Amino acid sequence: MATYIAKRLGLALLSVWGIITIVFFMTKLIPGDAARVAAGRTATAEQIAQARERLGLDLPVVEQYLVFLGRALRGDLGQSASTHQSVVSDLSATVPTTLQLVVVTMILTVIIAVPLGAVSAALRDRAPDVSARILFVLAGGVPVFWLAILFQWGFASTLGWLPISGANSFGMAPPPVTGFTLVDSLLAGSPPMFADSLSHLILPALALSAPFMSTIARNVRSNMIGALDSDYVSFAVSKGAGPYRVVLHHGLRSTMGSTLTLLGMQFGWMMGAALLVESVFALPGIGTYLNQAVLNQDTFAVLGCVLVIGVVFTVASLIVDVVQIWTDPRVRESHLTGARA
Amino acid sequence: MTLTTDPPGLDEETSSSDDPRPRPPRTAEWLTPAGLGGGISKGLRGLFGTHAGTLDRIAIVVSAMLVVVAIFGPLLAPYDPYLAVPSDALLPPGAAHWMGTDDAGRDVLSRLLAGAGMTLLAAIAVVALSTLVGVVVACAAVLSPRGVDATIMRICDMFMALPSMVLALGIAAALGPSLGSVVLAMVIAMWPGTTRLVRGILRVSMNSAYVESARVNGIRRIPTLVRHVLPNSMDSVYVQASMEISGAVVLMAGLAFLGVGAPPPSADWGAMVAQGREYITTAWWVTTFPGLAITIAAIAFGLLGDALRVRLDPSLRRKR
Amino acid sequence: MTDVPVLKITDLTVRVPAATRTDSGRGDLTLVDRVSLTIARGERVALVGESGSGKSMTAKAVLRLDPTVELSGSVRVAGQEVVGAPERRLRQLRGSTVSMVFQDPMTALNPVLTIGDQVAEPLVIRGVGRRTARRQAVEMLDRLGVPSAATRLGAYPHEFSGGMRQRVVMAAALIAGPQLLIADEPTTALDVRVQEQVLDLLEEQSRELGLAVLLITHDLAIVAGLAHRVAVMRHGRIVEDRPVDDLFRSPEHPYTRGLLASIPSVDADPDVRLQTVEDVMRADAAASVAPALLSDTLLEEARP
Repeated sequence: MATYIAKRLGLALLSVWGIITIVFFMTKLIPGDAARVAAGRTATAEQIAQARERLGLDLPVVEQYLVFLGRALRGDLGQSASTHQSVVSDLSATVPTTLQLVVVTMILTVIIAVPLGAVSAALRDRAPDVSARILFVLAGGVPVFWLAILFQWGFASTLGWLPISGANSFGMAPPPVTGFTLVDSLLAGSPPMFADSLSHLILPALALSAPFMSTIARNVRSNMIGALDSDYVSFAVSKGAGPYRVVLHHGLRSTMGSTLTLLGMQFGWMMGAALLVESVFALPGIGTYLNQAVLNQDTFAVLGCVLVIGVVFTVASLIVDVVQIWTDPRVRESHLTGARA
Repeated sequence: MTLTTDPPGLDEETSSSDDPRPRPPRTAEWLTPAGLGGGISKGLRGLFGTHAGTLDRIAIVVSAMLVVVAIFGPLLAPYDPYLAVPSDALLPPGAAHWMGTDDAGRDVLSRLLAGAGMTLLAAIAVVALSTLVGVVVACAAVLSPRGVDATIMRICDMFMALPSMVLALGIAAALGPSLGSVVLAMVIAMWPGTTRLVRGILRVSMNSAYVESARVNGIRRIPTLVRHVLPNSMDSVYVQASMEISGAVVLMAGLAFLGVGAPPPSADWGAMVAQGREYITTAWWVTTFPGLAITIAAIAFGLLGDALRVRLDPSLRRKR
Repeated sequence: MTDVPVLKITDLTVRVPAATRTDSGRGDLTLVDRVSLTIARGERVALVGESGSGKSMTAKAVLRLDPTVELSGSVRVAGQEVVGAPERRLRQLRGSTVSMVFQDPMTALNPVLTIGDQVAEPLVIRGVGRRTARRQAVEMLDRLGVPSAATRLGAYPHEFSGGMRQRVVMAAALIAGPQLLIADEPTTALDVRVQEQVLDLLEEQSRELGLAVLLITHDLAIVAGLAHRVAVMRHGRIVEDRPVDDLFRSPEHPYTRGLLASIPSVDADPDVRLQTVEDVMRADAAASVAPALLSDTLLEEARP
């Protein structure tokens, strides 16, 4: 078990290194003179030269790369041209918001999609299943940003049930300790702040979750059907098991393994799609920051974001893997018996 | 990673060729990524049972229509998609403008038709290119010695460690706002997934009995691969590609929404959604119709991919 | 009470309704055709036949495990009617009055649940407390010869060998003290050595617990040491139903004779061709043996 974790950790580190390298090469793609952009539009030739030196752009590429690598590992991702603050500090303020959104979305997805898939499988081909499956298809094709806009219009603007945008209503923002508004409001001991933070997360999470719910529900459904058709379920029925026990005790346990894997893989996609939703709901997360950076052509910020997101995703994948090994006995077995070639 | 299909990673080749990470149990369906998530219409297919053929036909027809619109769109448009007519701003859908007008007075329907090319054809181009690259690299990987193969796979892993939207966004941003940069960015984001998949397919084939007997008979590996294995595997590649179109459409629209891609007044559907956003309460049609178009395209191509999958994979063929 | 047979099947017919057929045939498909069979307490009866003879369907009908088929006729388990009974009553019978052992122990066990969980399941379903259930599970596994049962309750099915898994399955089937155990090809998936162990186990438990056994198999050879009676099935019908010794010594039905004659023997002359069932039946038809027992179709088939 420990060796496996060590191996995965090694792979993860390799991935991170790879990401850093890719990002570095992306900086080299920028047409035009990065020094000029950094120095500003009205800079004199001298200032541009200074900027070049400051940024280390006069060094050979390999050296630049090593410098970049060194800086990145030390946590220095340069300075944002628009906010004039270090990218790292900008990001540390925004990453938690996005993470919070993604986590809430994942929880929402599991709570809704898993039972939906299970019920759909249990009632195979009957009316609820049929309508659910049509729903899955529709939800799978809808672009999240459009859905977000529709939700915003429908539930917030027209019906007024939920807030239109932002992370908190005016004056309800908890003092930032961790950066996660939900956690911070609990730390501040304020249920109204918690409720407020939560209400601002509901619509974004719902919009973001649509395609994922579709995938997860279909996955659960097909796995559950496999379980329901299996011999061990027949055996359980022959022991006197009723439908609830079959679905909940036998069926769900069987399907959770691959569903967890699927969730883990969707995490990365979710982070990507979160950018879109954040932009619609004006949540101060990486997405909004990245979007602004793109529009302002603030390259350091853009690439810093890419790097951080990549690292977060790698860490998340690692955690998912370990959790899966830990919970699914089949999986544990196959890797412990040396599945590594 | 695509939205409507599962990420190309739920089969045995997810993040590394020798990954000890175990796979979830495979179903009988051959193409596991689609199998596990089911492709868009797996559910619908079983649903329609003997009418599954109808669903396929609908998918094919709609997809074909979309492609035709994409190619001939600008010619079909009743109004000039780019000419601003301020006096006609924000007209609701009616006889003169079936889908209303936007804030600059341009006919929404015309813009949709004009933008179809950008959104759909670009997405198809992206998929075609990334598939091409993927196949080439996969062939190279399969034919190379272990070390090179492993290195190529590691490189794929590294690219796949970044969510495709983020990676594409970063690259497109770095390259500047234009349709070309978006296409390039998306190809760079998508090729590792295709490579992994194709390599997996090829590896299985290369290890199969008929290849072994060919080798025993003295046929060398490269010709074997090119003349025999590759054509046999192309079916699966086509299926995967057609499913990716659906995801590519949505990804491209998403990027356009964020402002990456062809600059305004481009009629890219994603950009149209973004433009119409602020008027949603007063003029819902500006943002709603483009979004609807994206949804329909995504679903149609996804169903198409599924239809192809069932047709091309004999083990999945059910009685009609 | 003791006179009530553990199982009394009368004119059971199992049909796949035309609408639900997945093959290309038309009309209802009859899998089991007016079968009658009685098993007394403690009696071990073997139901023998080729694949497709309907023996498994008959067994599954006792527990009504297959919801897609239509049953008609009567199946009485310890006096209680199964055909047409509400599901709830069936659930009470399953596991505690009648239980079943399946062919492949690997697929019969849920890979993500511990064997302790699955052995204790019939008890847990009936509301028995966890600790009691665990204790009984350990006892049962011990009885069946599973070593270190107490410590292995938390183990998973894949950690066991085939023979051990079959014992686990049997433990689960016996733990609630059923009166009848249906064993559907319990040895087919196992290798020969293990087969014998499992059969011995079956016989031993049956004797000790007064358990009636319905053994479904296509292998006449394993029947001899275990069964009191043998019923032979063909094309959904029972063609012969005799005490085991009688059957082996003087089989009446041509099909039975064919089955017996086709069992390869170690002592047989290696130069003589092995006989198939059809060969024997044809010979019988030619010699006009027991024509009354031959239905028209049988006669047709037997014609050379």
